[in-house]
Amino acid sequence: MQVTESIIMFIYLIVMTIFGIYFYRRARRSESDYFTAGKSINTFIGAFAIFAAVASSSSLLGAVGSGVALGVPYFFTYAFGVIAIMPFAMFLISGQIRRSGVKTVPEFFKQRFGSSVQIVAAVIVCVGMTFYMVPQLTASGIIGSYVLGLNYTTAVIVLGLGFTLYAALGGMWAITYTDLIQGMIMIVGIVILALVILMDHSGFSALISDALSTDPAFGDITQPWMSYFGLFIAFLWFGIISPSVVMRNFASKSAKIARRTAMWACLIYLTLFVSGFVVTSAGASLGIVDTLDNTDMIFVSVIEHYLPAILGGIMLAGLLAAIMSSADAMLLAISAAIAHDIYKGHINKQASERFVTGLGLVVMIAASIVGILIAIDPPGLIAIMVGWVGGFLLSAFGFPLVLGIWWKRANTQGALVGMVSGAITFVILISSGALPTNAEPIIAAPVSLVLMIIVSLMTTPPPKEKQELVDYYHTHLEDSN
Amino acid sequence: PGLILTVVLVLYAVLVFGWWPADVYMAGISLVGWLMFIGLFFWFLLAIVYVVWIEKVEEEQQN
Repeated sequence: MQVTESIIMFIYLIVMTIFGIYFYRRARRSESDYFTAGKSINTFIGAFAIFAAVASSSSLLGAVGSGVALGVPYFFTYAFGVIAIMPFAMFLISGQIRRSGVKTVPEFFKQRFGSSVQIVAAVIVCVGMTFYMVPQLTASGIIGSYVLGLNYTTAVIVLGLGFTLYAALGGMWAITYTDLIQGMIMIVGIVILALVILMDHSGFSALISDALSTDPAFGDITQPWMSYFGLFIAFLWFGIISPSVVMRNFASKSAKIARRTAMWACLIYLTLFVSGFVVTSAGASLGIVDTLDNTDMIFVSVIEHYLPAILGGIMLAGLLAAIMSSADAMLLAISAAIAHDIYKGHINKQASERFVTGLGLVVMIAASIVGILIAIDPPGLIAIMVGWVGGFLLSAFGFPLVLGIWWKRANTQGALVGMVSGAITFVILISSGALPTNAEPIIAAPVSLVLMIIVSLMTTPPPKEKQELVDYYHTHLEDSN
Repeated sequence: PGLILTVVLVLYAVLVFGWWPADVYMAGISLVGWLMFIGLFFWFLLAIVYVVWIEKVEEEQQN
């Protein structure tokens, strides 16, 4: 157990929990408060919150670890896809989906395509987000066991319940404000780490030379072309297909604020990955990748090697922040899908807002327990697991969501076939192992697109009021939803 | 401008993945990596262009 680092991480967990307790009453006022923070988040807070929601264990541990193990072009592919998330989502959905006035992604599908699509979407959200929590919990177990001296299982349970507590109590209010703090810890921590590394190596050129002299293959393309392309595509679409990220648009004050939020989040992410390039190079220069059981631990080794205990503790809290700020948003997406979309949408339409937010709280705790149970014996490396979930959600959600916003002729039958065919194709491809890692959505997403277009054109056009919704999403007048 | 800028974004990605100069090196790192590194800044530039452009469209429409 590392005492200084443990104290810092303990203080950090306590502060996050205080946020949950502080926002408990405000979050329980209404469904809008619990699931979208009353649609009142401004640009500054929103930018850090959406950055923290997207930046997970994959962005830090996974990207740096695979960059050291597979060559720095693999790290750049991560960055190339991840930073494109913000502009790509902004161009295609951010303002439009905020203008729709809905609270959840399945509710958008109900508004545009009807109840049947909402139910399928809610099920996909629950499955996708539960499995996406697993790599986050795995990462928290790795860091927790390393720093706190707990065994891996205990660390997963302690840290998993840690973020569940504040998220369940304070809903989107607590999640947004803890994400603001967590995003700041992350970005300040990694910038300090990068500066210390650059000073230690006497500049950037010397650092790259050190990395290349330790590992001559550091600058090489080491994997099949399709692995890089598949990784890029899966991340590029993440701001569109991940409900945990899309929900941040619903919390913005307006469509205009949602767009500006995404723009500034893009800059914060750019800072993270430029610093990450320095960290990856430092990781390669240490020459210890072959001595580690898990390449995801490279980042922690770099922290240990370059930073004194107090700064190291802050950076480790930053890693934990990356994990928790993504996992809490996933919990909220599951909670909203079950409490708002399935229960209030189809089982008890007269349910009071207080009951629905209470149900949301219970669902979060239950979903967290399921995620923890799977994470105790995780099915793969962090980066691989994230690729699976991103690919699954892209194959199922990507084109039904974008065509729903941009194409009037898209109808209920087309959306259903597009969603289900994309998901099934992805599962078949990943089960068969026929394609390189992360390449499945390259086939499955176009299957979803083609079938959605064909079925929409072969069946009855949507009613006029549904077609007018598409026009409404694109009117550039400030919304009041 | 969303669709236009999406096309610009896709064209840059096509340049990187279509050309794929894996065996060309600069400072010991494959040119593929450097093209992606430049792309990181290009993505942020596109985000700024979009926000400025669409807010101008909104302003015109409200007038």
